[in-house]
Amino acid sequence: MASPAVVELSRWQFAITAVFHMTFPALTVGLSVLLAVVYTVYVRTGNPLYLQIFRFWKKIFAVGFGLGVVAGTVMTFEFGLNWGTYAHAVGPVIGVTIGMEVITAFFLEAGFIGLMLYGDGRIRPRTMALACWMVAFGTLLSTTWILSANSWMQDPVGYRKVDGQFHAEDWVSVLLNPAFAHRFPHMLLAVLISAAWFVGGISAWYLVKNRVTAQPMARRCLSIALGVLGVLMPIQLYVGDGTAVFMGQHQLPKLEAFEGNWKSDNNGYNLLVVPDTDRGENRLHVEVPYLGSVIAQDLSGKTNTPGLLQTPPDERPNMWTTFYGFRAMYFTALLMFATAFAGVVLRLRRRLFDSPRFLRWMVWMTPAGIIAITGGWIVAETGRQPWVVYGQLRTADAVSHLSIFEVAATLAGFVLLYVTLLAIWVRYIVRTVKAGPEPLPTGPAAPDVPEALVA
Amino acid sequence: MLEYAAYALALFSLGMYVVLDGYDLGVGMLSLAAGPERRREYGEIVATAWDANESWIILAGVVLWAGLPGAYAVVLPAVYLPLVGMLIAVILRGLGLEMHSAAGGYRRGWALLFGGASLAAAVCQGLVLGAVLTGPRQEGGRFTGGAFDWLSPYSLLCALGLVVVYLLAGAAWLQDKTEGWSRSRTRRTGRALLAATAALAVVLGLLLPGADPQHLRLDEPLRAVPFWLAVAVAVGAGAVAWSGFGRAPDWRPFAAVATLTAAGLLALVALTAPVVVPPASTVHQVASPHSSQLFLVLGVGLCMPFVLAYNVYAWRSFRGKYADPVEQVLPPLRAVPRPPVAPPAPSGTVRTVLRRILLVVLGILATALSQDVFGGVAEWIGPLGVTVLAGAALAAWIATDRRDLRSGCFDAEAERTP
Repeated sequence: MASPAVVELSRWQFAITAVFHMTFPALTVGLSVLLAVVYTVYVRTGNPLYLQIFRFWKKIFAVGFGLGVVAGTVMTFEFGLNWGTYAHAVGPVIGVTIGMEVITAFFLEAGFIGLMLYGDGRIRPRTMALACWMVAFGTLLSTTWILSANSWMQDPVGYRKVDGQFHAEDWVSVLLNPAFAHRFPHMLLAVLISAAWFVGGISAWYLVKNRVTAQPMARRCLSIALGVLGVLMPIQLYVGDGTAVFMGQHQLPKLEAFEGNWKSDNNGYNLLVVPDTDRGENRLHVEVPYLGSVIAQDLSGKTNTPGLLQTPPDERPNMWTTFYGFRAMYFTALLMFATAFAGVVLRLRRRLFDSPRFLRWMVWMTPAGIIAITGGWIVAETGRQPWVVYGQLRTADAVSHLSIFEVAATLAGFVLLYVTLLAIWVRYIVRTVKAGPEPLPTGPAAPDVPEALVA
Repeated sequence: MLEYAAYALALFSLGMYVVLDGYDLGVGMLSLAAGPERRREYGEIVATAWDANESWIILAGVVLWAGLPGAYAVVLPAVYLPLVGMLIAVILRGLGLEMHSAAGGYRRGWALLFGGASLAAAVCQGLVLGAVLTGPRQEGGRFTGGAFDWLSPYSLLCALGLVVVYLLAGAAWLQDKTEGWSRSRTRRTGRALLAATAALAVVLGLLLPGADPQHLRLDEPLRAVPFWLAVAVAVGAGAVAWSGFGRAPDWRPFAAVATLTAAGLLALVALTAPVVVPPASTVHQVASPHSSQLFLVLGVGLCMPFVLAYNVYAWRSFRGKYADPVEQVLPPLRAVPRPPVAPPAPSGTVRTVLRRILLVVLGILATALSQDVFGGVAEWIGPLGVTVLAGAALAAWIATDRRDLRSGCFDAEAERTP
């Protein structure tokens, strides 16, 4: 058994590297789809606006993608570095899943990203379009495999345990596990939505600032982003609700923690709690009466939300992280839904591009999706504790034989590096956005024939 | 037998990595010694392929994890510090490269970061290799050694060896990709690196921990034949590279160096197999169960031809000497006259407030629907509500988008053109 400090530091290290990594796919998966779509439209119509859009977002995508790849590489090795016992136990299951991700998705992205980013002017437009779609397909495939692997850890099925090692018995049920059926659509929608807020927010900024050269692009992108959001937000709330219900059935402690109750006698909905873990109660909580029961589909208001005291103390997750992770996700989601709804109404009233207040609000919503995704992953991962494979392998038993010095030194290194990287990345985005898209000459109404593309 | 297939897959990936990312890292290190103009060019040469090249080490790591979890779980903690060091170097290298490439023009700081991190990554990889060959202390499938076990004269020598091999691959790649180096200089540098590689290979081979007749058993024909064959191929490839440096055709040195590296790796495997983690952990002991092996070998094996095919395709797209891309200038965007936006018609305050209240109620109702609040009443209300809501939003999107398209919303404004 490793020292508790090594476990604790390793957990922090994993949490920080995972959250940092997640920031990038949260944008680049959706952006890769956007890039593929606009480039295809450009090839088909020859409208230079789409080429301008492509080239502009490509700049932001490229750096984000690169950082996402290298940060993801860290994660692949971290499983073995810090969690050697875990790696040995689940290698036959998770290792294979991640291996399939690497061979199918990672290579697809990596093989075509060079063409996509550096092919402009060197390869044929059709080949470019193909490369863009392959990259987008790769990122989606990657999301699929990762969610499959992680969902198995949330609700392991289809295995047999031999000497503490998990052996897959039924690959179909391992890969398409019940948790995956809920969590994969949830995450897929989440990454598309967060990219849409990002694109919509930055486009709104150009409209607020009234940048003449960027106006057509900003309008076009805002229209696409809000269109996507209007359709996806209601679906996402529904799918998210299904995921929460599923977790309530399969991982009750997680639900108990994210609803913020200790005793099971509250029919209200907690907006804010200050939990006291040692005494098993809340020092303070602010609630909406009866709403908890309504959410549990009992309109009479009599159903109580289960509390964490039901779970034995050594199997309880941390209420702080789980509760506030969930609130960050859920409240942001409600804001996103309301904004998307208002966006649809404004469009129908022909006011979308000329509503300064709404557009300014959109700028604030730029990081909304990333915040919600981060919150959601904090719920998923800290709510599963103290298990790494739910109900089967404790996190404390999964750690490698390491000295505190090793973990502490590398943790400090990662924190320092990642804070710097984040600062550089944000500064790069701000600069790129401020510099604006490459200017597009205007001319008289041109025919819609893609002359440049015939060759 | 399947575990040998997984072992072979891991080795193949590792070999691909050493050959492909080896030239990347080598070019990165060589860029430190180049002038600003060249440095930018070197960065761009690597930029088109580094991502694909780096994927091979991830594949190697993951196949090791899935196929031989016993080895993965022991080796990684044993080389903790150098491996984390390598990961950090890889991050910094990617950052330097992408930022340099995205910034446009030459940025000294990013270029130096790219070069320096390439060197650091190569050194760390060498240390890892040395530590693995030395044999980590283990007990019952767990690493039990200390934090600095990886540091030994042998691992330092390995780091030097790997740096030299990567430099050699980088120099060969540059001969193929650039016009820059004069023939005589290429020849001098390439041959010097080749000689250093050969010398280090001999020294490292003789000092190989456990390189005593008891362990190596070079009298077993199954071991001796592949070993000497690999050595012969390596020597032959070395000779081709020797004569090819600084002489047409320019692709020859790299082909020879790649062969040389692969043969070197094979020779090492011939010496050590079936031991995966020295001194004594064999493939059988560390392998994962049959079901995982089968899935892994079939899944990865079946995908491999496709992966190789499109990697070759991407590589062919950028074949030949590097040239700065000629970006098309954007063709002009259609400009249409657009009537000035009419200010919103003044509506009564009461009407506005009423409308907003109505909308908020509608919004809350819609949220409640999509949250499936009424699931207790009837199961179908939730899904139906969501479908209607999303469908209405889709219809509104399509209709308004077409309207905006017709009204010239996405065209440039004609009156603003000079």
